[in-house]
This record gives sequence, structure tokens and C-alpha cells, in this order.
Amino acid sequence: MNEYIPYLSELVYGAISGLPLFVPEIALVATFVIVILADLFLPGRKSSLTFWLCLAGIILSGILSFGQLSFLDQGVPLFHEHIVLDPLAVRFKLIFVAATLLFSLFIRSNRTLMEHKKGVGDLYLLLPAVLLGLNLMAMASSLLMIYVSVEMVSIASYLMVGYVSGANKQTEAAMKYALFGSVCSAVMLYGMSLLYGFTGTINITDESFLPGLSALPDSSVTLAVILTMVGIGFKLSFVPLHFWSPDVYEGAPTPVTAFLSTAPKVAGFAILIRFLGPFYSFASVSGRVVFDFDTILCVVAIITMIVGNFAAIWQNNIKRMLAYSSIGHTGFAMMALVAFSQAGFSSLIFYFAVYVIMNMAAFMLADRIETESGAETASAYKGLGRFFKLEMACFVIVLISLTGLPPTVGFVAKLLVFSSAFEQYAATKSVFFLLLLVTGAVTTVVSLFYYLKIPLNAYLRKAEGERELTVKPAFLTYVIALLSFLLVLLGVFPDVLA
Amino acid sequence: MSILSLLIFLPLLAGLVILVLPASFQQRYKYVALAAVIVQMLLSAYIYINYNGNAFSGIDEESKYQLVEKLSWIRLDLGSLGQLQIDYFLGIDGLSMPFLVLTSLVMLVAILSSWEIKSNLKGYFALLLLLDTAVMGVFSALDFFLFYIFYELMLLPLYFLIGMWGGVRREYAAIKFFLYTLFGSVFMLLVIIGLYFSVVDPVTGNHTFNMVHMMNPANYVDGSIFNLAANQELFGIGARLLAFIVLFVAFAIKVPIVPLHTWLPDAHVEAPTPVSIILAGILLKIGGYGILRICVSIFPDAAIASTWWLGLIGVVSILYGALNALAQKDLKRLIAYSSVSHMGFVLLGIASVTSEGINGAMMQMISHGFLSSMLFFIVGIVYNRVHNREIPSFRGLALIMPKYTTFVMIAFFASLGLPGFSAFIAEAFSLIGAFNSESINGLIPRWMAVAGSLGILLGASYLLWTLQRMFFGQTRLMGGEDWKLKLTDINGRETLALTILAAMALLLGILPSLAFDKMNASVLELIRLVNSI
Repeated sequence: MNEYIPYLSELVYGAISGLPLFVPEIALVATFVIVILADLFLPGRKSSLTFWLCLAGIILSGILSFGQLSFLDQGVPLFHEHIVLDPLAVRFKLIFVAATLLFSLFIRSNRTLMEHKKGVGDLYLLLPAVLLGLNLMAMASSLLMIYVSVEMVSIASYLMVGYVSGANKQTEAAMKYALFGSVCSAVMLYGMSLLYGFTGTINITDESFLPGLSALPDSSVTLAVILTMVGIGFKLSFVPLHFWSPDVYEGAPTPVTAFLSTAPKVAGFAILIRFLGPFYSFASVSGRVVFDFDTILCVVAIITMIVGNFAAIWQNNIKRMLAYSSIGHTGFAMMALVAFSQAGFSSLIFYFAVYVIMNMAAFMLADRIETESGAETASAYKGLGRFFKLEMACFVIVLISLTGLPPTVGFVAKLLVFSSAFEQYAATKSVFFLLLLVTGAVTTVVSLFYYLKIPLNAYLRKAEGERELTVKPAFLTYVIALLSFLLVLLGVFPDVLA
Repeated sequence: MSILSLLIFLPLLAGLVILVLPASFQQRYKYVALAAVIVQMLLSAYIYINYNGNAFSGIDEESKYQLVEKLSWIRLDLGSLGQLQIDYFLGIDGLSMPFLVLTSLVMLVAILSSWEIKSNLKGYFALLLLLDTAVMGVFSALDFFLFYIFYELMLLPLYFLIGMWGGVRREYAAIKFFLYTLFGSVFMLLVIIGLYFSVVDPVTGNHTFNMVHMMNPANYVDGSIFNLAANQELFGIGARLLAFIVLFVAFAIKVPIVPLHTWLPDAHVEAPTPVSIILAGILLKIGGYGILRICVSIFPDAAIASTWWLGLIGVVSILYGALNALAQKDLKRLIAYSSVSHMGFVLLGIASVTSEGINGAMMQMISHGFLSSMLFFIVGIVYNRVHNREIPSFRGLALIMPKYTTFVMIAFFASLGLPGFSAFIAEAFSLIGAFNSESINGLIPRWMAVAGSLGILLGASYLLWTLQRMFFGQTRLMGGEDWKLKLTDINGRETLALTILAAMALLLGILPSLAFDKMNASVLELIRLVNSI
């Protein structure tokens, strides 16, 4: 212990000097504590106080993050380079805030969660915690931080998925998720320990990290990197680590599914960018490719797009279909990642901002229709267009946007991703990128096929037997309408989002 | 807001009005739509009269377009990819102006025939007007991004129009149509992106989606993928040739050409009459227009290299479509196949790259727009009355529906190319162009023209045979006396719609210069552009 004393002041100073740039996260920690206390002493009916406190804390943190955009123009390492704050991270953080806010509104409109005997207070207090984890994922720059932040999000997610588990299906989903998740993170930890052993540092931006790796035989590096990627891949749910997602998405309460399909997935991309960054910059400086991410990512992206989109065709359950579609979207977004340039990242950010809106809206719609009519499958949607006038019209807009057709913003997002991949192709002339583009185009057509099942059943087919439903617009309907309107508005004026 | 924007967004506005109007006004929706379309027609008539065909020939010079509107629209900063420069850029020349007039007239007829639609009127008229907006936008857009937006915007309304108000197999027809078209257009998107990164705006230096800039080889970045001199290859084929093929396929699906035509009989047959009218009258022309405006103008080198294939596809479509039409029992299906056949002349004319040929192709599109609308309207009249349109179910209709039969005869004779009607001029010009091509530029051989003219013969056979089977002889109907009562002669509204179309076909047949004068200069410019490569 005594040998640390000379370094103590430096360590403390390093920690304190990082605090001013860590305010949004501190706000979340404070919110977390306040929400626990509030929920403990003033639970109230429907945990309204908890809800509003939680909402206020998240919004405050969002505003603070937004403020950081104005003075940040490059990365600032904090806390002994365990985390890095740069404009990219802030943009990711804003997306997380948006996703979490929509999630909290969604929880409040969901009958299953609200009427559960446990109450929703505990779910609300998970929100600031999970958001903190997400933020750390966007900023992590050491192996330790990567692991801690991924685990933080995972554990919160396990709790959310199992929150109402009563029926077998939900319990199965929660169990599956927790087991699969812990195995993946154990594998990742193993990979990280290898990386640490090889290089003697846990900081991936450290000067000795990559030179250390490049000195080793390829096979050992490949093993360590792939093991580490398993943990990240679990969050992204790219093929072949996607098996958990359809079951979990189907079994979890719909708001949780909506959240899981957006924020942690986007955070997975953020962490992938962090993890790959040093490899790419080392390659460009020294001209030595330590690990061929280009090819691997291209192949994984192509397979993910194909598997996700084709598997979605056979789904009848709406949530399951959306789960596969979100796997397809993962593959598509990876197209922007393989470009690995600032332009690619801006396309990615744009894509995800749009993706969060569309996917949240899609699950909200699925939930809304399920609550009112009990329809969970595409075939049960028959003839529902007559009753859910506004909802179904919004659903069409959302699905068109998910397909990536104009005039919705999904098209602009798709165009940007295609552009960055095309630019990469023009620069490298690698046939992989061309295949990537072609796969992206073909799977778009495929995706239309299953997305159209919803309007097909809702409008084109008649319900068997007479049934009457009276649907009154709920709060969620207005949120959905707003989101759909936003999709069209941003489609015509995408400058607003950028 | 200038006149083109007004033309585009007026239907959208009317559609929104219909959406807002309460359901108690259900019976008035059609009048709102009709009013919008009449105003639109007056606007396009105004555009036609004031159009100066010679001074402003358009094609590859921005200053020669008329009614140009150019507003900066999207400016996204993409870091190292440069700035995304997308303009709201509209303008017309001789290639697009005739289609604006055609669209507004066909839309008018379509709305007139929408009286038969009885269910869910709000959705129907709103979607129809949205479709109108998209079509007008496609014909006026000069920015490729804007063009693509309007182009894709057509799909969704059509999907619902066919799928919700269509016939028995409407689901299948609607999804088939959607997937076919989307398949073509997604790959078109990739080419658009490639073009975007290859072309720069000579003024600002940004990459641009401006179609007019794309037509000038000097605007291409050195070494970029579609640069003419760079001779880049993709999958072992020249990049420009591949891009031409991709774009051609996208538009050819719309035209449609054999063997990419199979969506058409299904979609046309299952769609309700007004939608069939729009499909045949306008949407097929978007394919032909796209080939001229985009494929040929932006990739003239590849177009020249592929003329033989274009001509062949044209001839095959003419003959195959006609032979299929001969074999049909369903009147609507027969007319759908006759569309395939007639659109083949468009391709043959374009492939000749002669002034006669391309003028003929343009004329054929306009003429077919009027005539096929008329034919589908005619089918709609019978189907609406007795819900049957099998040719063998009817005989001797002339005796009970004399006025109707008169219009049928006009439509049939005009379609088979009787001199005095527009189709004669159009087909004659396309064939002359195809015939002369061998001696003028040597692009397509004479036998193609000869084979194409066989198509006219086949056309005469299936139309006359149908006329004989359905309308002549003693009245014998499958439904007996009941049908006889239902098959009343046409009413005032139907007469009006048919008269407009017949008058246009006759007018253009007698005074073809009404169209040629307006578009000839642009066609010559296009030929100059193609030959300058």
C-alpha cells in the first residue's frame, strides 16, 4: 500500500479534473439516488412522483450533454484515459437520452406494466442507471471500462426483461437472455484478459497496446479479438450471435423490447467504434494491419442482413418480425461502420437517430394494437384498418420508413449509409464493398415484403366474422402520431436533424 | 410559387382537404377531386399554349429549360464526403411538357370514371390525388434525388389503390406490382449514388444530383466511377454500361418490356377501372420518359452500344404482346397485353436514334395514353354494369348499346392504326425511324422494322376479332334478360369522358404538328447529344 503514496495526489487530481466534463453522468447518479429514495418513501399510486423525477433527471442530463457539444471539438481523455469524451460520444449520448425518454413514456402507457402488482417504481429507477451505463459505453476507452459499462447495461436489461415474468414464455425469455448474456460476457472477459496479457495494458488507446499486439503471431491476436467481439456482438445481435433476440423480444414486455432493440444496440455500435478505432489508426500510421476488420465486418454485415431479413419473412408474430427486422438493420448499419471514417460515423449517427424513432414507434404501435384488440400476429391484424384509423396510417408511415422509401426520413438515412459504403468502395475497389451494396439493395426489397404484411392484413383483407371495436385514442396514440409526423417532416427536411 | 409547383402540389392540397372533410360530405369528395383536376388541366393547357418549342429545347442545357424553379433544398454536411447538395429543381422541355398535358387529361378521365367507386371514398380520393402529385413531380423534376422521391412516392398509393379497391386477386397483383417496381428502383438508387459521387456542380464544386449536369461529360470527376474516360469496370462490365443496364431495367419494368411485363396483366386486370386508366395512360409512360430523360441522356455512349438489344426487346414486346392479346378471353387482359405490344413501338423508335423514330416514340406514348385510357374506360363500362368482362359472355352488344359501340369502334380502329388517328402517325413514324436507321446511323437492322410492322397486322386481328365477337350479330348474353336490362347505353358522364379521349386521338391524328412542333427541337437536341459522344 505504501508504494502508492507518491502517486496518490496525482490519482486524485486526475479523478477530480475529470469531474466537470462528467456532469451529465453525475446528474444521472444523483437522479438514481433520488428516485430510489422517492420510490421508497413516497411510492404513491402508479409511482407518478418517481416517474416525473426520473424524467426530469434524464432530461437534465440530456441538456447537459447537449451543452457539451458547443465546446467540444476533439476527444478529451478523462479519468486516466479510461473514458474519452468526444463529439461522437455526445451525439450517441443524445440518442440514448431520446430512446430512454420514449421508453419511459412507453412504460407509462403500457397496461401490463402499470397494472402489475409489483408497481413500476423499480422499473423507473432502472432508467437512470441504464442510461449511465449506455453513456459509459459510448465513452469507454479501456478494456475495463468496456466490460463494466456493458455489464451495467446488461444487468439492467436482465431485470427489465424479467420484470413481469409470470407466464412461461416470459420466464423463458428472461432466463435465456440472462444465460446467454452472461456466457457472452464471460467469453468477452476471457478475450480481454488475453489482450491484457499480450500487451500489459488495459487501455486500448495506450501507445503500447497495438504495437504489443502486432508483435504477436496472428492466430493469438485473432483469438483474443474474436473472443472480445463476442461480448460486443451479443449487444449488437449480429449473426451468429443473434439467437437470443427473437425469443427475448417476443417474451419481454413490449416497452422493454422496444428499448432493447434500440438503445443497447446503438451503444454496441458506439463501443465497437471505440474498440476498432485504435486498430484503424495504427494501420494508417504504421501501415500494418493487425486484424483484418474490413473483411470480417463486411462478411458479418452481409450475412446479418440476409439472415435477419429472410428470417423475418416467415414470422407471423409482429414482435418477432420486428426483432428479425432489427437484426437486418444491424447488418445494414454495419455498412456505415466498415467505411470507418468520420463521414461514415455521421451517417451512422443519423441512421441511428432515425432508427430509434422508427423502431420505438413500431413497437408502440404493436403494443397499442395488442392492448386494444388482442392481435399479436400479422394474421390477426385482418381488417383492423377500419378500427385503428390513425394508428394504422401511422404504422404504414413507420414501415415505409423502416423499408427506407421516400418521402420518409428512413430513405435519407439509407441513402447516407449507402453513400458512405460507396465512397469506401470507390477508394478501395474491394469487391466486398460492392457485394455489401448489392446485398443492402436486395434486402431492402425483401424487407418490403414482410413489412407490407401489416398493411396487407389491416387494409386489404377482411376479418373473419363480424367484430366491432371502439378504439379511443390514448396518450400513446399522440406520441405515435408525433413520431410518424416527425418521420415525414425529417424526410422532407433532413437538415433539421443534422 | 410558380406554375409547375402549383401543378404538382395542387392535387396534394385537394387530397388533404378531402382528408379533413367530415365523413358526412362523402358524396362531395369526388367533386373536390374533380375541381382540382380541372384546374390542373387548365394550368397544363396554359403551359402548353405558352410553351416555346424552338427557343427552349432543354435536354442538356439548364438555360434552355422552361418554367425553371431552382431552390436550394437539402444541404447536409457529410464531413469528408463533402456537402450533400440537393435542389428543388423543376423545369420542362419538349420531352416532359407533353406528358404534363397527358397526365392532367387522363387524370380527369380517371376521376370521371371514379363515380363507380362506392367504398371508403375518403381514402380512395386522397390516394388518387397523392398519386397525381407524384406523377406530375416525376415529369417535372430535374434533380435526380427529387425525381427518385416522386418516383417512389407513386408506389404506395398504387399499392393501396389496387389492393383495396381491386378485383378478386388484388392482393397478389398489388404486392407483385410493388415488389417488381421496387426491385428496379433500389438498384437505381445505387446508380444514383454512384452518379452523385462522380459529378460535380461546375459552379459550386459540390457533388450534385442535378440531372442536367450529369449529361455533360465535362462535369465528371477525373477517375470517378462513371467518368467516360476512366473506363472503370464493375463485375467485368464497363461501369457506365452496367449503370445504363440497371437504369434501363428499372424503367423497362414500368414500360413494360417482355420478359419483365408479367406484373402488368395482373395489375391492370385486378385494378379498379380508374386505376387501370392511370396505370396504362400515365404510368407506363414514366418508363419511356425515364429511358429518354435519364438512360439515354446521361449514358449516351452505353445507349448507342445497346441499341441493337433495345430494338430487339422492342420487337419482341410488340409481337409477344400481340400474340398474347390474341389468345385472351378476358377483355381487360386483352387490352393489357395490347399495351405491352404498343409500348414495344416506343422502344423500337428510341432504339433507332433517328428524329423520326424518337418523335414517333414520343407520339406513341401520348397516343397510347389517350387510347389505352379509352379502352380501359370502355371495359369498365361493361364490367360495372354486369360484373363480367369475358369476351364469350357477350354477343351483339351493338344492338342494345349503339352509342357505346360507336365509341368502341373509334377506340379499336384508332388503336389498330387507322390513318387519321394518332396511333397511325405514331406507329408509322417509329417504323420509318427504325427502317431508316440502317442507312442513317446503322444502329438497328431493317428486319426489326419489318417485324415490328407485323405487330400492326396482329393488332388489327385481335381488335377486329373482338369487335366481331362481342358487338356484332344477334344479341346473346350469358346473363340473359337480366343483363339486357342492366346493359343500358352510356350516360352523359361516360360520353363526356370518352369524347374527350376520342377527340384528342383524332386531333393528334389529323394535326400531329400540335405535338411535333412542341417536341421536335428537344428530340433533335437529344439526338445531337447522343451522337456527340
